[in-house]
Amino acid sequence: MQKILPKKELPKFINNLIKKHQVIAPTKNKTTSFQKISDFKEIYLEKLTQIPAKQHFQPENETLLEFKNNKAIENKGEIKKTILFGLRKCDLNAIQILDKVMYDPQYLAKRKNTILIGLFCENPDKFCFCNSMELVDYHDLFLFPKGKNYIIDVGTPKGKTLVKNLKTLEKEIKIPNPKNSKKLKNLDIKKNYKDSIWKSDADKCLSCSTCTIYCPTCNCFDIKDNLDTNLKDGKRVRRQASCQLKSFSKVAGGKSYRDSRLSRFKHFVYHKITYYKSIHNRPMCVGCGRCLRVCPTKIDWVKTINKLPKKK
Amino acid sequence: MSYLPKPYKIESIKSYTDTVKLFKIKCNLNPAPGTFVEVSIPGIGECPLASCSHNKKYLELLTKNAGNVTSSIFNLKKYDKILIRGPHGHGFPIKDLEGKNVILIAGGTGIAPITSMINYIEQNKKDFKKIFIYFGFRNEKNILLKERIKKWEKEFEVHIGLSDDPDSHEHEKGFINKIIKHHKPTTKNTIALLCGPEIMMSVATKELNTLGIPNSSIYWSLERRMECAFGSCGRCQIQDLYVCKDGPIFRYDKIKSRLDNENSNSN
Repeated sequence: MQKILPKKELPKFINNLIKKHQVIAPTKNKTTSFQKISDFKEIYLEKLTQIPAKQHFQPENETLLEFKNNKAIENKGEIKKTILFGLRKCDLNAIQILDKVMYDPQYLAKRKNTILIGLFCENPDKFCFCNSMELVDYHDLFLFPKGKNYIIDVGTPKGKTLVKNLKTLEKEIKIPNPKNSKKLKNLDIKKNYKDSIWKSDADKCLSCSTCTIYCPTCNCFDIKDNLDTNLKDGKRVRRQASCQLKSFSKVAGGKSYRDSRLSRFKHFVYHKITYYKSIHNRPMCVGCGRCLRVCPTKIDWVKTINKLPKKK
Repeated sequence: MSYLPKPYKIESIKSYTDTVKLFKIKCNLNPAPGTFVEVSIPGIGECPLASCSHNKKYLELLTKNAGNVTSSIFNLKKYDKILIRGPHGHGFPIKDLEGKNVILIAGGTGIAPITSMINYIEQNKKDFKKIFIYFGFRNEKNILLKERIKKWEKEFEVHIGLSDDPDSHEHEKGFINKIIKHHKPTTKNTIALLCGPEIMMSVATKELNTLGIPNSSIYWSLERRMECAFGSCGRCQIQDLYVCKDGPIFRYDKIKSRLDNENSNSN
């Protein structure tokens, strides 16, 4: 089902949603990120956000358990009804990817109470390569600008409840993919694992883990206990972690299983392109280009993959 | 999938070396041989430990004081409470072992999951043919579960190799592959289960290959950092496999190329 919303009525539409829900949308402050808004005017839609939407479902620190009086109490997760607005197709696909690997009660509670509203991406930049990444439709509602209107594609019953007062479009249109100039030409890199070409990128890599922080699908985490000052009570928290750090694979006794920078760098690329795909049948990368944009040494692993010799 | 652990009572503690203790915990979890539980101390953290028993009334954990959490577990006393969640993972392929000869190889604290398997074999003896046990320790002082090994020696073929003890009169000197070579097991209709440092498992596997046991009949128990224990946190990943949920027991031919790939990235 598709609905029509005149462009000039979007602010009213969003402000109506704000009355009943917590609305989170792209905003511009020092950085661009998804934040809670109280008015449509706060929304910034010119560019893809620097910080991805995953921070809403998987915050840097999430309490899993609380220890009180020698008892462990589970955190049931946030239950406030939330709308995430302004997600681009890459952002939406990133959430689908997280949905397949995150299944603890805290994440699920947040997901269950969130409605995803996507918005067509009109301005991909030179780092975007989403069209190479087998993106699918994964939204409750999706807005596509056409003339003076937005065509709203209704993806789920959850989304439908928000647009029931809008006019239904009689002849549905096919929403195109965003246009990119950058391409990832080869997703079949399994046999190139030992290729020496990776070394030049790995040599430039600082293992700073910025790529994994900004990646919308990097979900890896740490479980850490924080002790209160009374030395008895405390919290068990899920914290963002990064496979680019040496300590990530370190076990008791000191051995780190991905000791070399080369192995960690390759783990990032291969996890995004092949490892996840072999389990979930789609790449873990959505082509948003955030890792390329933020890399302090300007590593372009997409370019490297395009240079790989084809192996059968 | 929940992170909520349950409290259990420690029934007894036995000390084997300065850094290894066996905790007997009253509980009815009865993990399948080869699987593991997440053990935790509030405020300190969680760590994965292999089950060292197969019993409906208690769970034994052979614990080496090697990290943050294990050193806190070491401070626990009899009747103290300990938090456990699990069991997690896939254990030894028991159905595939039935009617076969079984070789069990362990190095150091790798004896823990192997012990859970031996317990299972003791309880279901008629399901298995001949059992060969090879243990490797550093020296006489480091031999773990000594009294049990004595008991097993009466029932099964048991060989112990000490890699670094020239003065031992009781046991042979040598690395595990040498011990296997000296006391050859039956190789037909045989499956081998290994647990220990990867370098030890790899030399033992080479020896088994030489004797004619293919990689498809060899199983490794792998150690990795397992935080969530259900394939979410990514800490234990070996390429596209998660040790916590696809393992920790892997058929060697299925994991070999992945380990080779990861090990090919030297600095």
